[in-house]
Amino acid sequence: MFWLRIQRTLKTLPKWQLGVLAMFFGWIFLTIFGPWIAPFPTEVAEPTMRLLPPSGAHPFGTDENGIDILSRVLAAPRTDVVIGVVATALSVVIGTPLGVIVALYESRGGAGSTAFAETFMRVLEVIQSFPVFVFAMVLVAVFGGSVTNIIIAIAFVNTPVFVRIVRSDVLSLVQRPFAEAARAAGNREVRIGFRHVLPNALPTVIVQVSVTVGFAILLTAGLSFVGAGVKPPTPELGAMIASGAKYLEIGQWWAAFFPGIALGLIVFSFGVFGEIMTQVMEPRAVRRETDRRREHALETGADVPEVSEAPAVALERTSDPVLAVEHLGVAAADSRQPLLSEIHLALGAGHSMGIVGESGSGKSVLVKSILQLLPPELAVTSGSVRYLDHDLLAMNKGAMRAMRTTQIAAILPNAKSQLNPLTSVGAMLRSALQAHEKISAKDAEVRAIELLEMVGIVDPAQRLSAFPHELSGGMAQRVCLAMALMYRPRLLIADEPTAGLDVTIQRQVLDLTRKLAEDAGTARLLITGDLGIAAHYCDTVAVMQAGRIVEIDETERLFDAPRHPYTRHLLDCVRV
Amino acid sequence: MRLALYIGRRFLFLIPQVFLISFITFVLVRLLPGDPARLSLGPLAPESSVEALRAKMYLDRPIPEQYLIWLENAFQGDLGESWVNNTQVIDDLIIRIPVTLELIFLALILVFLVLVPLAVITASRTRNWIVRVFQNITFGYGMLAGALPDFLLGLVLIFFLFAGAAGLMPAEILPGPEGRLGILDFEPPFVTGSILIDSLVAGDMEIFWSGFMHLIMPVFTLAFVYGAPIFKMLRSQMEGALKADYTTYAEAVGIAPRIVLVRAARVAAGPTLVITGVVVMFLLGGAVLVERVFNYSGLGQYAINGIVTADYAPIQGFVCFAAIFTMLVYLAVDLIHFAMDPRIKIGGTES
Repeated sequence: MFWLRIQRTLKTLPKWQLGVLAMFFGWIFLTIFGPWIAPFPTEVAEPTMRLLPPSGAHPFGTDENGIDILSRVLAAPRTDVVIGVVATALSVVIGTPLGVIVALYESRGGAGSTAFAETFMRVLEVIQSFPVFVFAMVLVAVFGGSVTNIIIAIAFVNTPVFVRIVRSDVLSLVQRPFAEAARAAGNREVRIGFRHVLPNALPTVIVQVSVTVGFAILLTAGLSFVGAGVKPPTPELGAMIASGAKYLEIGQWWAAFFPGIALGLIVFSFGVFGEIMTQVMEPRAVRRETDRRREHALETGADVPEVSEAPAVALERTSDPVLAVEHLGVAAADSRQPLLSEIHLALGAGHSMGIVGESGSGKSVLVKSILQLLPPELAVTSGSVRYLDHDLLAMNKGAMRAMRTTQIAAILPNAKSQLNPLTSVGAMLRSALQAHEKISAKDAEVRAIELLEMVGIVDPAQRLSAFPHELSGGMAQRVCLAMALMYRPRLLIADEPTAGLDVTIQRQVLDLTRKLAEDAGTARLLITGDLGIAAHYCDTVAVMQAGRIVEIDETERLFDAPRHPYTRHLLDCVRV
Repeated sequence: MRLALYIGRRFLFLIPQVFLISFITFVLVRLLPGDPARLSLGPLAPESSVEALRAKMYLDRPIPEQYLIWLENAFQGDLGESWVNNTQVIDDLIIRIPVTLELIFLALILVFLVLVPLAVITASRTRNWIVRVFQNITFGYGMLAGALPDFLLGLVLIFFLFAGAAGLMPAEILPGPEGRLGILDFEPPFVTGSILIDSLVAGDMEIFWSGFMHLIMPVFTLAFVYGAPIFKMLRSQMEGALKADYTTYAEAVGIAPRIVLVRAARVAAGPTLVITGVVVMFLLGGAVLVERVFNYSGLGQYAINGIVTADYAPIQGFVCFAAIFTMLVYLAVDLIHFAMDPRIKIGGTES
């Protein structure tokens, strides 16, 4: 599994990252063999050869002691990389079990363990509030500057990071079903923590390791640079840069330049290696959202039989439609694969149309393309979208914005995620009103209260100061409904308006939507995955499959006598 | 009310934390090798006078007692005396703290003036050529800033802008690593300790200019290296916020783009603020190295000198200041974040 992931990640890497990966292994090679392949001795001074510029014999020149810089640069990774790697390993070995234990203790619940956790975290905060560099410097000064002590100091300052991330990971993991299952099977808590939960937290740890190693190398070099780390003559990059720095100002650049480049490249290649490891460990984190959607659409498209027959369209032409979509096609900007093709539909004034189809069939893309809200990576490739006599595709953004809500209103799925978490209900309603009319904040508040009353929210004045996370799903949906209908629009597009709500709340919201929309004479386009909702609330229903409308008909006729095989397939699924 | 409760709770923790900081510092510094009394009097002093000094410095008492004595003095503003310079640590700190804070704050200001707008631009969902150009530049910046150690960048700047890159460029475009001012410049009278403010107060534009020129390279170094985490966090948060459902929905409602952007930025600001607090802590460490490179007589140099000469009191004073300063920055960050984000609960530990 692990090797498979590595292989897959390697295939998707850009060329330059592969190059850096090769360089990374080059540094590892030097860490192991560097001191043995160095052409000159690395710690023996040659006073007659001081500060020779780069030449054939000494490609990187010589330093203030007359030692070949190339040899020292080749030998130095042994010091820097070993300190960085061993110190990081130590932090992991100490920090990880500590994090697991704290989390296990904390997850037992009860006042005692909460107090313990709070205290522990505050103490950790104290340790982390010592500036890392200074803290390491003092530690090295206290215990002396041997390589072992430098490793201990660097390990010490990095340990809290691992305690923290392991603790928070384990805390969320012990509540997962698999940990419950292990508990039910009679495992002891400690065993669950280390055997069942910890392996799941390892990806985060490994990602953090790759970051920490680079940081630890920088720390080593920094300490040596100020003279509080590795002491000359041991070849170490920070100390070499420090000794070369004096000559930089007088034009003898090579003594600091080459160690500097080497240090930069080491840290850089460790950083890129870390990013690659992140991709190996969390393959999902790097796949772009659009890729996923496109793949999803393709996968689900491939599951069911191909769009086998011509679309079954049995509607008379709607005269003077509010919304008319013709030949609409949408594709991802960087791919030929269409997400929507040849979409036709027409919605008469005051009518309601349902669009059904399984997830991935392109319903939401259709909504976004009607509303002119396609993400930049998707583009309309053909066709037209008309609202009354406006061509929406040709409309400029300002004109479109003026029509939003006042004429074309939208309700989008999962109302709670549609409301900005840091904007209160009152502020949201006020800005929605002020976007379309000149209205003072005070009047807007009065109107907002009326609107919330209209959608049946109790105690509306109180609710104005509520934030989205304080609302229930149904309440959030009502707020969105209030905004959608506040100007009695001609057209309402509701995309899965009841997703994530209880069945009883679903009915309330849909009934309310229908009542308010009928009062205002609003035409509705209702997108849903639920055939029952479509049957109950819509005059006509369109069935979508793999980016096409395969059948469109009056509701009764469609449910009584479906003509397209996919419609029958969908209906069969429900009727079982 | 909610805010008051939160502040009260945080301060309740702050007090023991500060004590813990002072205690850890005290113990660590007491562990430093070398006998301060002997170091103070030199190797030739007779044993009896060293003993006398040890008694006078309470070095013959047990560590807990020494700590209590130190704490009592610290409350009275007495942080001890440097045996190398025979100066009061508190006086040294008062002179040196502003030097380092000036570097750190100017670096943060530079980050916020340059990198924050860049992060917002490159997070934009429109993909015109300007955005693309900026994206390529900032991609390179992200790579470089993660790999280039601060002290190395400082040296590179000196090499190009002062030393003239071994004859490739005109030399001395900027003043070299000679500290805050040129050798012949006089320090302005001490008011705040900031060279820019003090020279303005004194009305001495020449010194102001000199101080400004001397600040360019160190401030740029710090901003370049330590701005990267702030930049990356803000950009990814901003990208997330602009892609989020609530941004699309606000557009669907027809809310003005300016307000939509501001509201997205507000969401992105929280995590960016938190990371800024951490960066300030790293800036203190970075200042140690950068001060070393540019010969700035700030806190960092003070600490290094203290460590090299085994001078107890200055190290103690510095480490204690640095940790308490960081705690206060964390506290300020948490308070602002709490005031900004209604989702944060008063109790509970952060993860």
